[in-house]
Amino acid sequence: MNELIEQIRLAAAALAEFSSHLFNPTIRLGVTGLSNAGKTVFITALVHGLLRGGRFPVFEAMATGRIARAYLAPQPDYAVPRFDYESHLDALVDKREWPASTRQISELRLVIEYQSQNGYQRALTLDIVDYPGEWLLDLPLLDKSYEAWATESVKLSRLGPRAGLAKDWNSYLTSLDPQGAEDEQAALTAAKLFTAYLKACRDKNYAMSLLPPGRFLMPGDLDNTPALTFAPLDVASEGVAPKGSLWAMMRRRYDAYKDIVVRPFFRDHFARLDRQIVLVDTLAAINAGPDAVLDLERALAQVLDCFQIGRKTILSTMLRPRIDRILLAATKADHLHHTSHDRLEAVLKRLTQDATAKAELAGARVDVVAIAAVRATREATVRRARQQLPCILGVPVAGEVLAGETFDGDTEAAMFPGDLPDDPNELFRSGASAFRGISTTSPQNADFRFLRVRPPLLEMTESGIPALPHIRLDRALQFLIGDRLQ
Amino acid sequence: MSKTWPHRPPAVFRLDDDDVMVGLAKDEAAKRAVQVILEPDAETPLIAVDDPLQWRRRGFRWGALFWGAVGALILLAAGLAVVRLIEDLFARNQEFGFLGLALAILAAVSFLVVVIRETMGLARLATIEKLNRRALDTLLSDDRQEGAAVARALLALTRRMPRLARGRATMESHLGDIIDGADMVRLAERELMTPLDQQARRIVTAAATRVSAFTALSPRAAIDVLFVFGSALVLVRRLSLLYGARPGALGLMRLMRLVVLHLAMTGGMATTDGLIQQMLGHGIAGKLSARLGEGLLNGFLTARLGLAAIDVIRPLPFTALPRPTLRNLMSDVMRGFGEKEETP
Repeated sequence: MNELIEQIRLAAAALAEFSSHLFNPTIRLGVTGLSNAGKTVFITALVHGLLRGGRFPVFEAMATGRIARAYLAPQPDYAVPRFDYESHLDALVDKREWPASTRQISELRLVIEYQSQNGYQRALTLDIVDYPGEWLLDLPLLDKSYEAWATESVKLSRLGPRAGLAKDWNSYLTSLDPQGAEDEQAALTAAKLFTAYLKACRDKNYAMSLLPPGRFLMPGDLDNTPALTFAPLDVASEGVAPKGSLWAMMRRRYDAYKDIVVRPFFRDHFARLDRQIVLVDTLAAINAGPDAVLDLERALAQVLDCFQIGRKTILSTMLRPRIDRILLAATKADHLHHTSHDRLEAVLKRLTQDATAKAELAGARVDVVAIAAVRATREATVRRARQQLPCILGVPVAGEVLAGETFDGDTEAAMFPGDLPDDPNELFRSGASAFRGISTTSPQNADFRFLRVRPPLLEMTESGIPALPHIRLDRALQFLIGDRLQ
Repeated sequence: MSKTWPHRPPAVFRLDDDDVMVGLAKDEAAKRAVQVILEPDAETPLIAVDDPLQWRRRGFRWGALFWGAVGALILLAAGLAVVRLIEDLFARNQEFGFLGLALAILAAVSFLVVVIRETMGLARLATIEKLNRRALDTLLSDDRQEGAAVARALLALTRRMPRLARGRATMESHLGDIIDGADMVRLAERELMTPLDQQARRIVTAAATRVSAFTALSPRAAIDVLFVFGSALVLVRRLSLLYGARPGALGLMRLMRLVVLHLAMTGGMATTDGLIQQMLGHGIAGKLSARLGEGLLNGFLTARLGLAAIDVIRPLPFTALPRPTLRNLMSDVMRGFGEKEETP
């Protein structure tokens, strides 16, 4: 019943939007990515490039001069904060710091005035939403009952490196009786321990991705409310909760969480997307090890399953908008020499192969690229003894350690992160032939080390800030909105 | 290390370290240190493409042997005749002999120059054909190095074209960027082909207009045929000059052959391209006046030929830019757009 009402609501909203978009063409660009994938930097660089006229040779409309101007317009939603483009840009350019992780949802509307190929003056509105990547993991919960989710979470917490991190919570879990009477204190403690376990998984050394529910990691304004005070119990996935039991209480709160948090989030920001870019920080997972890579694969599969993907038809546009183009982007490609970009793309293709196949079957266009929205490194060849290493030059952020060196945030270094395999399947092996990441071995023995690098030093020109350097941001733009600017 | 793929472990070098030198050092001592060689841009060596023959010939080329032998015989006969002539001239009169010798040397030298030019023209034509094929391959494979190589080859080919100065400068500045193969080819097409395409369109329209007008006014059909044929030759030659080929007589013959082949192959496709409307239009015009209808038909055929020639002679395939269609060309003809033609 709930589901039906929700569907009607979505269709009504889509219908209302359809008529206004007839006269005012709008693209809702879904910038999706788990936390730390680089959504904020991507949006900032994209907006900056469009506003200032970046160096985008592959983005046809801009390269041929058909874009007359682009400007920021007041956003459509009154209840959502504005994306703070200016201060993010300041942090990037002046302080040379990456933006802190996003804690709140925010929105931006960009209007592009352009001339079409046959000479008409047109305008295209681009709506972009930024949000904490953790929240994205909530979307798969929409179709899951409490029991299914709990069974899955408990099972997952006993796998691989998670088992060690979840020890406290797991031992508390065995002391709980789901059939017992409801107990607020038990729920509080369980939620606290469960949250601690999720937070530990997210640590840079483990870089786990599949950590629902997202609000536990980034609570926004719901901290300490009952909707966030629940945890999985060790219950059968098909059982029925007895009245007044702890189980029933948890189940109620889980459903409340879905109603209060997840549904509105999905309805307002993801149900009506036209184009989607999925940013994936593949390198962080490779850095951490095979378990993180497998976890990322699971998380991506679940998240990508939530979107309406397929070819556009008039009926679908009116009632159930579909995403007809998806760009899968491996971000932070500047941490690799460009000769390895093809291999990085191969890894991402392998990570998302099921979702890609499904989307293509439904008639959507899918492309995979390695991008860097802001390119922070240069390239160099290092010759040592008889070896030649294709390296990148950059300034590692303060505190990064590699080969016994601790960086202070001012020293430039040439880094070689380790050769990626030609065959991406090598990274998905487990057991003895698995590669070693920093979650299981010391940083000295890891097979790959990707250090975080500070944003680039830009030279000022008298006309203001020069365009931010990037890798393939123009190709991404061409794929995502190029056809709507014809 | 139990890696199943060639794997080099990660490494890091501080640039302010004593062992690390930035740039290339020549002396022995420096060789032991770690050297960091900055790459000003994505350094991509021009790689040689293996160029498989499109039609591999089977067996011995008897025809080539025949023509070669006959040619050599004719050359020998001519040489002998000239030598005899000069001898005769010397026998008759010393001065005539020297004059004959000088003329013979002049003829030989100029013949050599013509041969060299023809060969160069043919070679250039071959370069363009190869470039087109490489660009097509790159669009499919999206190979980064190959894309840059195609762009570089195109830059070399268009070095002498003043109207592309700006496009070339832009293109050169993008060679160092990290751009994928297919994108690089599209970028090169947009930057370097746009001005040429516009000019080519003007040339074809002008030729078609001229042919239409001439046929409509000319008194005799035989003259029409000559004129249409002549303008076709001129049209193909001008288009090939525009796109960077400098064909001599042999090159032009080869080009004409390719163009006619192309026309034959794409003939079927052209029916979708407004052929029927054009034919109908010609029918109506023919009802009004037979000469006018004929003129339009001839103009229309010339435009078709021009489009086929563009396809054959253009160094890059049409991907980023729209291929000119017969319909928009013919509407230009009707409008008398051809008046505004410039010489390339």
